[in-house]
Amino acid sequence: MGTLLKRHRGLIPFLLLAPGVLWLLVFYAYPAVQMFISSFWSGTLETGFSFSLDNWTTYPAAIERYSEQFGRSVAFAGAATILAFLVGFPLAYAIAFRGGRYKALLLFLVIAPFFTSFLLRTFSWKIILGDDGMVIGPLKEIGLVDSGFRVLATPIAVVSGITYNFLPFMTLPMYVALEKLDKRLIEAAQDLYAGPWRPGGTIAGALFGAGTFALLAAIFGFDVLVMALAGGVVGGIVGTLFLSEAFVRVTLPLALPGVFAGTLLTFIPAMGDYVNAALLGNPSTNMIGNVIQSRFLTNADYPTAAALSFILMAAILVAVAAYARLLGTESLTTGRGV
Amino acid sequence: MNDLPKHIIPPALTRRRFIQGSTVAGFSAFLAACGSRGTGSAAPSASVPSSGPSASVAASDTPAPQLSPSAELVFANWPLYIDTDENDETKHKTLEDFTAKYGTKVEYSEVINDNNEFFGTLRVPLEAGQDSGWDIVVLTQWMAGRLVRLGWLEKFDKANLPNYVANLEDVYKGPDFDPTNDYHAPWQGGMTGLGFDSAVTGQLTSSAALWDAKWAGRVTFLSEMRDTMGIALQKLGYDPGQVTSAQFDEAIAEIKKAVDADIIRAFTGNEYAEDLVSGNVVLAMAWSGDIIQKKLEKETLEWVAPDEGGTLWYDNMLIPKGAAHKYTAELMIDFVYDPVIAAQVEAWVNYICPVKGAQAELAKIDEELAANPLIFPTPEILAKVKRFKSLTEAEEREFDDKFSELIGV
Repeated sequence: MGTLLKRHRGLIPFLLLAPGVLWLLVFYAYPAVQMFISSFWSGTLETGFSFSLDNWTTYPAAIERYSEQFGRSVAFAGAATILAFLVGFPLAYAIAFRGGRYKALLLFLVIAPFFTSFLLRTFSWKIILGDDGMVIGPLKEIGLVDSGFRVLATPIAVVSGITYNFLPFMTLPMYVALEKLDKRLIEAAQDLYAGPWRPGGTIAGALFGAGTFALLAAIFGFDVLVMALAGGVVGGIVGTLFLSEAFVRVTLPLALPGVFAGTLLTFIPAMGDYVNAALLGNPSTNMIGNVIQSRFLTNADYPTAAALSFILMAAILVAVAAYARLLGTESLTTGRGV
Repeated sequence: MNDLPKHIIPPALTRRRFIQGSTVAGFSAFLAACGSRGTGSAAPSASVPSSGPSASVAASDTPAPQLSPSAELVFANWPLYIDTDENDETKHKTLEDFTAKYGTKVEYSEVINDNNEFFGTLRVPLEAGQDSGWDIVVLTQWMAGRLVRLGWLEKFDKANLPNYVANLEDVYKGPDFDPTNDYHAPWQGGMTGLGFDSAVTGQLTSSAALWDAKWAGRVTFLSEMRDTMGIALQKLGYDPGQVTSAQFDEAIAEIKKAVDADIIRAFTGNEYAEDLVSGNVVLAMAWSGDIIQKKLEKETLEWVAPDEGGTLWYDNMLIPKGAAHKYTAELMIDFVYDPVIAAQVEAWVNYICPVKGAQAELAKIDEELAANPLIFPTPEILAKVKRFKSLTEAEEREFDDKFSELIGV
C-alpha cells in the first residue's frame, strides 16, 4: 500500500478530494442542474411540464413581480448581519481575551442552542415575545408601552429572530480569529505608545454608531435622524472607552478574516431564510424564501420557484464578490490579516 | 376514554401540515415532477408499495366482474387518519375487522401528506393509462374534482355499495364535480369558521368580527385559499360554490382592507391554534377539529360557523383508474359506511363524520363525544357551511395567484 501510494504520489490530492467532490456532485451539482432546467419549464402539474429556452422570460418576470420581497430579504439579512456583528464581536472578544478557564464553557454556551431544532427555537420566540408574554406583558403593566403594542408580526421580530438564529455563525469565526491572535503583538504595540486613541476613537465610534443605527432605523421604519443621533452618542461613548490605538492597529486588522467569514456565514443563509418571516412576521414582512416556498408548495409553480432560487443565488454571488473585493479574499485564503 | 379522549390528541397538526413537513412534501412533489417528463411511460412502479399488486388490471374495455374479494387491498391515506391501537401503531382494528370479514389483507400506507405531492406521483402512471398501484386513495374534494375531470377514477358500481348509498350524509350529496356521487366517497370532513377566546371577545356569530378594528393585530386568517376566500365571499353575500372571477376580486379587496388597516396579524396554517391559546390572537379563522383539541387547554375557546357562512372541506376515498382490486375497494368503502365501523373510526379521529347513524353507534361507546357538535354537526351548523366551487385549472391558477399576492408571497 505504502509503495503504491509512493509511486502515485500525484494521485493523493485527488483521492483526498474525492469524497467532497462526490458529495458536491450528487447533492449540489446534480440538483442545481435539475433546478436550472426546471426554471425553463412551462406547463402545470396537471398537464406536465415541458422545457424550452424561450421560457427565459420567467426570470425577468419573477424579478419584476417579487422585487419587493427581494429588497426586503437584502434589508432584513443586512440588518441581522449588522446586529449579529454588534452582539457577536464583543462576545467573541470577551471569550477570546477574558474567557480564562471558562473559555470552553462559554464557547459551549454559544453553540448550545444548536442542540434544539431551529424551528423550535424560533417558535419559542413567539412565546417569549408574546403580546402578553414575559417581556411585553410587564412592560404593558407598568405602562411603558400601550396595550396595543406588540413586537411579534413586525419587522423587528423577524430581524431579531434571524439575528438570534445566526449569531453563533457570526461569533465562532471571529472567536477563532481573535483567539489565534498573538497577544505579544498587542503588548508590543502598547510598548510602542499605542495607548488610548483620542479623539480618534470617539469620532470613529460616533460615526460608526450613527451610520449603523441610521441604517437599522431605515429598515425598521423608525425616525432615522433620532436614531442616528442616539447611535452617534452611544458609539462615541463606547469608542472613547474601548477603542485604543493597539486595538485599531493590531487587533481589528488581524480579526478581519474572522469578521469576513462571520458576516458571510450570517448574511448568506439569512438571505434565503423563510422560517423566521413565516413564524414571527406578517403578510408585509415576507422574504424571498417565503415566496419560493409558496411557489413550490402552494402554487406548484416550479419554473418560477426555480428561477427565483437562481436569481437569489446570483444576487448573493455578486454581493459576496463585491464584499470580497472590499475586504480582500487574500486574508481568507491565507489566514493572515490584511 | 373518559374526560380526555385519546383520539383528541394526535391528528390536527399532521392533517393540516406544518411548515417543516410541507417542505418535505413539496420537495418530493417537485422531484416527482422532475422525473415526470422522461419517464412518463417507463416507470409506473415508482409509487407502488413493496407488495405491489400484480398486473391484472381491470381495464375498462374488458369488464370482467370480480365477484370475490381479492387477497389484498392497497390503501393510501393521510397519517393518523384511522383508529389506531394504543400500543402498536401498525394495528388498526377497522382494517383487521375487514380482513376478518372478507379474508382480504389490507396494505395500509399513511403516505399522503399533501394533495399536490400525491397527485404528482399518481399522474405518471394514470396519464399513461396504467395501474397506479393503489386501490383506494384519500384526497381532498378539490383534488377529487380534478381527478374526475381528468377521467382518472373508476366509477363505483353502486350495487356493491348499499351502505354508502343509504348512509351518506345529505350535505355531501351531489357536489358539482360528481353530481351523482359515482366516483368519490367522503372519508372525513372539517369545517372552517370562527375560533375565538370568548373571555376576551364575548360570543361572536358574524364574520364581520374578523374585520373589526377592535381586535386589530390580534386576528389571523388562514393561508389556505379556499378557506379564507370562502368566508370572505360569504361575508359579501356570495356563494363560494358559484364564485365568479369578479366576486373573487371583490373578496380579495375586502380582505386587503383588513390587511392595510393592520387588523390581520398573519395568514397562518395550524399555528393560529397555539396563538389562540397563548392569547396573542383572540379571533381566528379556524378549523373545527383544532378547536376541539385546543379547548382542552383553554376552556374559553369557542368555534362557530358564522351566520354569513363558513366552509366545508372533506377528504374522499377514490379508486384510481385501472386499480387492480376495484371490487374489493368497493367492499372496503361500503364497509366503513357501516355505522358501527364508522363509529369505531370516529372514536379515534376528531373530524366530522359523513356517515348517518354513526352518531347513534358512537353514543354507545362514548356519549359525550357523540354529542359534540363539532364532530357531529347539527343540521343548523351544516346549513351554514358551504363547499368551494370545483375550479378548472385556469381558474385555480388565477385564484391561487391572486391569493398569493394578497398574503404577500
